[in-house]
Amino acid sequence: MSDKPKPMKFPPKAFQLDPDGENLIDSAHGKSYWRSYDQLANSPEFQTFLENEFPPGTMDLPNKLSRKKFLSLMGASIALAGLTACRRPVEKIIPYVNAPEEIIPGVSKNYASTMPFGTNALGIVVETHEGRPTKIEGNPLHSSSMGSANAFMQASILNLYDPDRSQAPSRKGYEVRWEDFTAFWNEQLTAFDAVAGEGLSLLSSAFASPTLFRLKTEFLSKFPKATWTVFDPVSDERIYQGIELASRQKLQPVHHFESAAIVLSLDSDFLFLDSNNVANSRRFSQARRIMSEKDSMNRLYAVESGFTVTGAMADHRLKVPSAQIMNFTIELAKELQNLGIPVEVDLPTSSLTVGRDHITWIKALAVDLATHKSKSIVLAGYRQPAEVHALVFAINDALRNNGKTITCYHPEHTANSSVTEYQKLVDDLGKGSVKTLVILGGNPAYTANENGEFLKGLNRVEHTIHFTDRENETAQNCEWHLPVSHFMESWGDAVSFDGTLSVIQPMIAPLFDSHSLTEIYSLLSTGELTPGFDLVQSTWREKLISGNFEQVWHHVLHDGVFSGSNYQAVRPALKNKNIFTKSEISEQNLPGLECVFIPSSSLWDGEFSNNSWLMENPDPVTKVAWDNVAVMSHSTAAKYHLKNKEIAKFTADGKSISCPVWILPGQADSTVTFSLGYGRTASGRIGNKVGVNAYKFKPLDSDIRQGVRVTGTGRFQIIACTQDHHGLDADKLAADAIHKRLPAILREASLDEYRLNPGFVKEVVEEPDLFSLWKDKSYDKGFQWGMSVDLNVCTGCNACSIACQSENNIPVVGKDQVERGREMAWIRLDRYFSGDLEDPEMVFQPIACQHCEMAPCEQVCPVTATVHTDEGLNAMVYNRCVGTRYCANNCPYKVRRYNFYNFTKDLPEIVKIAQNPDVTVRFRGVMEKCTFCVQRINQEKLRAKNNHQDLKDGDIVTACQQTCPTDAIVFGNINDPDSRISKLKKQNRDYALLGELNVRPRTTYMAKIRNQNSALNKNHFEKHIQ
Amino acid sequence: MSLLNHIPKQSADAPLDIAVPMFEDAPLISGNQSFASVTNRIAGVVEGPTPKMWWVLFSFSVSLLMVLVGSVGFLVWEGTGIWGLNNPVGWGWAIVNFVFWVGIGHAGTLISAVLHLFRQKWRTSINRFAEAMTIFAVICALLFPTIHVGRVWVLYWFFPIPNQMSMWPNFRSPLLWDVFAVSIYFTVSLLFWYVGLVPDIATLRDRAKTRAKKIIYGILSLGWRGANRHWRHYELGYLILAGLSTPLVLSVHSVVSTDFATSIVPGWHTTIFPPYFVAGAIFSGFAMVMTLAIIARKAFHMEDFITINHLEKMAKIIMVTGLMVGYAYSMEFFISWYSGNEFEKFAFINRAFGPYAWAYWIMISCNVIIPQMFWSKKLRTNVAVLFVLSIFVNIGMWFERFVIIASSLSRDYLPSSWDYYSPTIWDISTLIGSFGLFFTLFLLFLRFLPMISMAEIKGVLPQANPHHTMYDKPGVAHQSR
Repeated sequence: MSDKPKPMKFPPKAFQLDPDGENLIDSAHGKSYWRSYDQLANSPEFQTFLENEFPPGTMDLPNKLSRKKFLSLMGASIALAGLTACRRPVEKIIPYVNAPEEIIPGVSKNYASTMPFGTNALGIVVETHEGRPTKIEGNPLHSSSMGSANAFMQASILNLYDPDRSQAPSRKGYEVRWEDFTAFWNEQLTAFDAVAGEGLSLLSSAFASPTLFRLKTEFLSKFPKATWTVFDPVSDERIYQGIELASRQKLQPVHHFESAAIVLSLDSDFLFLDSNNVANSRRFSQARRIMSEKDSMNRLYAVESGFTVTGAMADHRLKVPSAQIMNFTIELAKELQNLGIPVEVDLPTSSLTVGRDHITWIKALAVDLATHKSKSIVLAGYRQPAEVHALVFAINDALRNNGKTITCYHPEHTANSSVTEYQKLVDDLGKGSVKTLVILGGNPAYTANENGEFLKGLNRVEHTIHFTDRENETAQNCEWHLPVSHFMESWGDAVSFDGTLSVIQPMIAPLFDSHSLTEIYSLLSTGELTPGFDLVQSTWREKLISGNFEQVWHHVLHDGVFSGSNYQAVRPALKNKNIFTKSEISEQNLPGLECVFIPSSSLWDGEFSNNSWLMENPDPVTKVAWDNVAVMSHSTAAKYHLKNKEIAKFTADGKSISCPVWILPGQADSTVTFSLGYGRTASGRIGNKVGVNAYKFKPLDSDIRQGVRVTGTGRFQIIACTQDHHGLDADKLAADAIHKRLPAILREASLDEYRLNPGFVKEVVEEPDLFSLWKDKSYDKGFQWGMSVDLNVCTGCNACSIACQSENNIPVVGKDQVERGREMAWIRLDRYFSGDLEDPEMVFQPIACQHCEMAPCEQVCPVTATVHTDEGLNAMVYNRCVGTRYCANNCPYKVRRYNFYNFTKDLPEIVKIAQNPDVTVRFRGVMEKCTFCVQRINQEKLRAKNNHQDLKDGDIVTACQQTCPTDAIVFGNINDPDSRISKLKKQNRDYALLGELNVRPRTTYMAKIRNQNSALNKNHFEKHIQ
Repeated sequence: MSLLNHIPKQSADAPLDIAVPMFEDAPLISGNQSFASVTNRIAGVVEGPTPKMWWVLFSFSVSLLMVLVGSVGFLVWEGTGIWGLNNPVGWGWAIVNFVFWVGIGHAGTLISAVLHLFRQKWRTSINRFAEAMTIFAVICALLFPTIHVGRVWVLYWFFPIPNQMSMWPNFRSPLLWDVFAVSIYFTVSLLFWYVGLVPDIATLRDRAKTRAKKIIYGILSLGWRGANRHWRHYELGYLILAGLSTPLVLSVHSVVSTDFATSIVPGWHTTIFPPYFVAGAIFSGFAMVMTLAIIARKAFHMEDFITINHLEKMAKIIMVTGLMVGYAYSMEFFISWYSGNEFEKFAFINRAFGPYAWAYWIMISCNVIIPQMFWSKKLRTNVAVLFVLSIFVNIGMWFERFVIIASSLSRDYLPSSWDYYSPTIWDISTLIGSFGLFFTLFLLFLRFLPMISMAEIKGVLPQANPHHTMYDKPGVAHQSR
C-alpha cells in the first residue's frame, strides 16, 4: 500500500498461465496471444493495470502530489490568500408528502433479526433510522448472542452498504436481467428433469435454516441424481467427526462455561474466533466475575501454539505446537486414568516434549480436573483432528461433564461443510462429468483452489452459475453471476446451535438488483422467483408453528426468537474405545516449521475483506491492521535469521508463500501462525491486494502444514501496527520503563494474593496527598456519569471498538494513516505482556476518554472547545474546535483523536447511509474522542422526561457497554449509591488509572485476578517484564 | 543632544588637555569618522545603486518565500495531515519553529531596550538591525501558531472579540497567554523600532533626490526637523518604550514556556522553564544578531561601525547565556531525579538515550560544548570562527525546542500510545520557507532603511562631546592621538 503503484505498460507483459489457474489466457504454447479483448480485459494483469491507473476510491494522498497539482495549488493559494470564508454546498431535504405510519423522524426503531454465521444463528437487534439500518446489537432474548455482538456482527452492517457489491446480474461479464436467468434456468430444468439431475452439481456454504433445508431437500427429491456439496473453508467439521467417532451420533455440543470451575482449552479460541464465541464469552464471564475476595472464580488452562485471546485469559497457558496437541491430550488422558478417572479409550503410546515443566503441568491439571468432576470442561479447537475431539469427548464423558457442563443436541435443518465431499466435487469437475455447476455463496476459487484444480475443473463445466454478493474471484470465472442480497435485505430463518429458531427479517428493501438466498434456493427447484416472505412463512406454517400461526409468528418477529424451540438435549455415551487407528503416535518432530492457518480476527475467512471497519481494526494480539503477518516467536526468528517485518519465503511440498514476519512473545517455537482472508484480488476497494493469500499455502483438508522451510528475503514491508512493542526491539530503556510502569497501569494479582491482601490495588502506587489549590467544583448533584471496566473479565475482543465505530461514525483512515499513528478509535485495547519474554502472560486494557473531573485537556484549550458538563462529562464542542491539538498533548491517556484530513470526504454515498444520524460527522482539523455516548444519554433522558418517568439505573447503556460479550464495561450514575456503577466503584479492586496525577478520572478499572493453581503458581509481582 | 548629560567616560573622547586614562577600551567606532562621513556611509547604502549581490540574495530569498507560500497553501488546502504529526505527538516542527523564531527576536529587544537602559554605548552599532531582526523574527514566529491549527479560518476565536454568543476564549489556556504576549511584544517592538527610525528617516528625506522618496520618507519621518523639542520628546519617548520593552524581554518567552510548563506532560511540566527559556532566547537571539551582523558588515563594508569589539561583546553574552542554558539542562536532570517521579525521570533519560538521543546530543554539542570556545580571546575575535559558531548555536537552539517537544510527547504516560515522530517534506519546506520570509524582509530593510542608527552612532563619536575640539565641525573627523 505504501509503495507507489507502478503504472503498468499496456498491454501487460506477462500473460503466463497462472499455476492457480487465475488467468484465463492460455499462453502455454510459448508466444502469448489473447483471444479477445474481453478476455484480456478480464485478466488480472489488466485489472491490476486498470487499478493502478485509476485506483477506485483512493484518496488523493498528498504525498503523491504531482507537479501539475503543486503548481496549480501554488497559484491558487496565492490568489486565494485572503479568501478563506468558504461556504458549504447547499443541499435540499425533501419532507414526506404522505408520511409513513410509525416513523417519527429522528426517533430510531429497533427490530429483531438474525445473522446467519456458518451453521449458527446469531440473534441481533437492528437500529433503523427512517427505514435504514444503522447499527447492530445483540438480541438479549437469543441464546447465541445473549444481548452482545462480536466485531463481525457489528461490522456486518457495513457489508450491507458495500459499494462494491454487484448491482445487477451478469452473464459472461455483460449485464443481464433476472428474467434472462430464469429463462435460461427453466431450459436447464427441463433438460435435467429428463435425466433426474445427472450432471447437475450444486455447491453451497454451510447453513442452518429450516427454509433453506426444506428447499434443499425438495430440490434433491426432484433431482435425485444431482449432487449438493456443502463446503466452508473454516468449519467445525472435525469436531462433529470426532464426536461421531466416539459416540456414533451426529451431535452439536454447546458448552456451559457458567457452570464450569475448570476449563481446559486445547488449541481452541472459544472466547474469540471459534464457533459460538459470543455466547461462550458471556457464559465464561459469568463464572469469572468476582465481587469480592470471598468469591470464587473459574480457572482456565490453555494449551495452544499461537497466542490467542483465550490464551491471554488463561490462568495457565502452555505453548505447544498444534500438531502436538494430540500427544498432549493422550498424556492427559493417561494421567487422568492414573488418577482413577475412567477414560475408556485404548490409548496409543505417545511421547511429548514441549517444555521443561510440562509433566508437572499435566499432573497439576489432571488433579484439578479430577477434583472437579461434572464441573469442568475440556474442549478442543476445530483445527484439531477428529481423534482429538473423540478423546476430548471421552475425557468429558469420564469426568461426567457431558450432560452437565456440556450439552449435546441433534442438529436439525443443518447442512454441514464437508471437505471430502468438496474434494469429490473437484474430482468430478476435473473428470468433466459435471455439466452445470451452481455455486451458492462462497468463494472456492479463492478459498479452496488447491493446486488450481478447482478452476481447471471449472473450465470443463458447460454452465457455471454463481450466486454471491460481489464479483469475487469465483464469479470472475463463472458464466453467470447473480447477486445475492445481504441478510438484512432478505427474509429467511435460522437455527442456532441449541436449536433456537429465529426469523431473519429484512430491514431495508434490496439496495441493488439482488435476491435473497431463500428466493434463490426456491428458484433453483421451481424455476420461478417466489417472494422470500412466502417461502419462510410456508415453512413455519407447515413445520414449525402449531396453533395460532399469526399470533406466534408475530411474537417470533417481535422477539427475534421462537421461544421454547430449542432442541431436546441428548445424553450420548462413549460407544467407541478404538478412537486411534494407530497404536503409536510418534512425536511430531518433523524438520522445519509448523504453519497454522487461522481465520483472521478482522476478515474471518475473507468474507469481511471489503469491510473497512474490520480491516482497520487491529488484531487483538499482534495489533497489526491492514495486513496479515507470519507470527513467530523470538527464538524461531533468531534461528532462521529473520527480522521483524522482514518478508520471509515459506516453502513446503512445492508450494511457497511470502509473508512479512511478526515476532510475538508466547508463540510456540517452530510454529508460525498465518491469518486467512487476506490477499484478495476481487474483493473491492478495501480488500483488494491487502496482505497475503494464505489459502495458497494451506492444505485443503487441514489447517496445519508441517515441514515448512523458511528463508528471509532481506526485504521489509511497512506494517501498520497500532501499538509498537518496544522492549522487543532491543530498546532496553523502553522495556525497563514499561516494566516499572506496568504493575501500576494494569493492576493484577493471583486469587491467592488477592485473598491474602484484598487491598493490594491501593498499594501499588504511592499516591501523594492529592489536593487542589483552588476550590473545586463539586459534582454532587443530579446525574454524575461514570464508568467501570472489569479487567478480570475483559478478553480484549475488540467488539467495543467496532460498536463505538458504528455508533459514533468514526472514520476509517487507511493503512498509511494508521502506520503514521493516526487511527481514530475512540476506545482502544491496550495490550501488554508480562513475565518471561518467551512465555509471557498477555493482558488487555480498554482505554477510552476517562472523563477526568480535573481534565487537563480542558484547561489548555484556548477557545473552550472542550468543557465539563454539570453531569461530569468531558464534552467536546466540535463546532468550536480550532484544532490546536494542545488537548491531545496534555491528555495523559492519549485518547483524543484528531482529524488530520477530511477523512469522510471520499466516503462513497452509499456508505454515508450507515452513519448514525444522532452523531455529528467531524470535519478535518477537529479533535474528537469518546463522549460516553452522550447522544444515548440525552435520548434516554428525553424519553424518561416525555414519559414522566424517572431515569432508572441501566436505562442508559453506552455502545461499548451494550455490546461487551463479557459485560466488562458498566456505565451509570455514580451519584446514586444504589446504582450498579456505584457499587462497583466501592469494590476493593477498583482503581483509577494514573490516579496519582489528580486528574480524577470518571472511568476506573477493576484489577485483574488470575486464579492460579497453587501447584503451578509463580509469584505474580515478580514477573512483570515487558 | 541628549548625550550631553552623560559624557561617555571610556571613549577616547577626553579633551586633549586631559590626561590620557590608564585603561582604555578600543574606540566604539573606528575609521576616523566625522558626523558627515557617518551619514554618507550609512545613508549611502540606501541611496546608492542596488548592488548585484543584493539582487542575487533577494531572488534567492523570494524563491524560498514562495516555497513557504506554496507549503502553507497546500497545508490550508489539505489539512495538518501533510505534516508528520501523529497521535501522541500533536505538536511538531510548527511549534518548534514558533518557539525558535520568538526566541530569536529577544536579542533585538535586549539590545535596544535593556542595553539602552544600562547605557551600553556599544549597542548603537547593532541595535537597528537587531530590532529589525526582532520584528521579522516575530512575524515568522506568528506565522506558525497561525497555520498549525486545524481550522485556520476560525482563528479569530482566539481573540476576545465581543460577540452575540458571549463566547470568550479560555483565559486559563497558555495558548491564549501566548496570543497576548506575542502580539503585545510585536506591537511594542514595532513602535520602538519605528520611533528609533524617525530621525534617520528624516535624514533620508532631506537627502532624497526623487519625488517618490521625498514623499514616502517625508510621511514616515512624521515632520521631524531635529529641533530641540523634538529631541527632548524623542528621547523621553524612546526611554519610555525602552522601559516598556524591558519586561517584555523576560515575559514573552516566559509565557511561551508556560505552554509547556503548565501542562502535565513529563519533560514539559517543569518550573525551571521560564528563566531557562529566556536565557535560551537571548542566547539564540544574540547568535542570530551575530550571524546577520557579520554578513552585513562584510557586504556593506561596515567594519568601522560594527567593529570586532562589538562582536566580541556579543560573543561574551553568547557564552554567558550558553552557560545558563547548560546549567538549566543539568538542573532538569537533577530535579527529575530528585523528584523521585518515575515519569519525570524517564522523560529525561529518554531524552538523552532514547530514540531522540541524536537530537539531544546535537543540542548539547551546539549549545553547551561549542560556545566554550569563546573562553579564548583569540577565537572570539576571529570573525570566521564567530560566524560559524553563531550558526551552530542557532542549530542547537532549534534542536533544543525540537527535543523538548518531540521527545516528551512521543513517550509520555501510557507506553501503549508511544510513537515516534518524524517530519515530512512539508515540515521541512515550511521551515526553509520561513527563512525565506525572514531574509526577504531583512533584505528589503537593508535596501530601504538605514541599517545602523545614524543619530545614535553620532552620539557615541568623540566629537559628540561638546568639550571636544571638533564639536562644532560636523564635517571634520576627530583626529585620534
